[in-house]
Amino acid sequence: MGLVEPRRSQAILVAWAVLIFALSALTGLPALAAASAAALLLFRHGALRELRRVAVTVVPLSLGLSLASWTWLWLLGQPPPVAPFVALTVRAGLIAFTTFSVLRRVDLLRALAPFPAASRMLVLCLAQIHALRLLVTESALGLRSRLPRKPRTRDVVRSSGAVTVALLTLSARNARDIGDAMRSRGFR
Amino acid sequence: MHVPDGFLAPTITLPAWCAAAPLWYWAVRRNFGTSSTESLPVVGSLTALAFVVQSIMIPIPGGTSAHLTGVAILAILYNPGVAFVCESLVLLLQALFFGAGGFTVLGVNALAMGLLGPGAAWLCYRALRRLSERGAAFLGAYAGMQVATLAVSLVLGLQHRLSPAYMPVPFSVTATAMMVPSLTVLGIVEGLYTVMTLSLLRKVKLVGPR
Repeated sequence: MGLVEPRRSQAILVAWAVLIFALSALTGLPALAAASAAALLLFRHGALRELRRVAVTVVPLSLGLSLASWTWLWLLGQPPPVAPFVALTVRAGLIAFTTFSVLRRVDLLRALAPFPAASRMLVLCLAQIHALRLLVTESALGLRSRLPRKPRTRDVVRSSGAVTVALLTLSARNARDIGDAMRSRGFR
Repeated sequence: MHVPDGFLAPTITLPAWCAAAPLWYWAVRRNFGTSSTESLPVVGSLTALAFVVQSIMIPIPGGTSAHLTGVAILAILYNPGVAFVCESLVLLLQALFFGAGGFTVLGVNALAMGLLGPGAAWLCYRALRRLSERGAAFLGAYAGMQVATLAVSLVLGLQHRLSPAYMPVPFSVTATAMMVPSLTVLGIVEGLYTVMTLSLLRKVKLVGPR
């Protein structure tokens, strides 16, 4: 499915919100397994890509939390049942998979088009995050090129002051430019 | 300290959304009208900075992760309403594009990390700033971090009380796992980050004197 009309995007987003709230109510493993199978079937196009994304962004944290909690409780006394922890991880993964799959099928900015203020804020923040990430990467590369060895924590902390000044100045200038450009195009 | 999607049932997430929605409306109307043109670049920069700061997360037992928030500075420079909107935006972007936190738990996370924490930071700063601005900023950020962490651990504890099958970790484990790093390390780092950012902003004159 390609880009869709704003109203259709909005309807899909509303359906997605209802769906993930419903998915967040599931606790039993059979119900979660059935919902996972249905989600995989429904979003089969590009499912591998989204599963990989879930495996990279969501599963490590959820699994890490579940394992750490289970080990903690096990060290404190009796080993707790595994099923709720598995359900927790599956539920988190399922909601993330549904979210990523739906968001790939809607154009968020087009859906937000009737709300210029929200669009402006969203674009501003996304642009800032992008600029900031670039600056941090460039600063890290610059630091590495100036040192004969791999930068240590102390080197990073020492250079962070200067980097933050540059970062805030550039970031504010960038935000002002984007804000002005969007306002001149009718975004309030 | 985000609560991830799937860790809280709709019995908690829906009321949290209902509580947060009017507050979002009020905070946006009050702080992001046409008069906000001048402050918007700085707010956008600090929001992006908070986003980057919050991206570095360490999973801890008890249902969440440890990280800085970086929004106390917004409450101190502007007011808790600005911090609430900006933190909510950070949480929304993280939920939609990076799989951190989540949409169903957005109300809970925003109220805890965006309103209660920065609210405490702002109150603390306002009460102490006559003594020392830097000290007040540090203590405000430290207090804000503790309040936000406690709020999140209380919600997770409540979820366990409501349904252990849903959230299998009891409050005692969650609170210990969250509060110990927060009290000993994260609160201090958040305080230092806030003081440093405040000084830098004053130095480069991005924010005028109070």
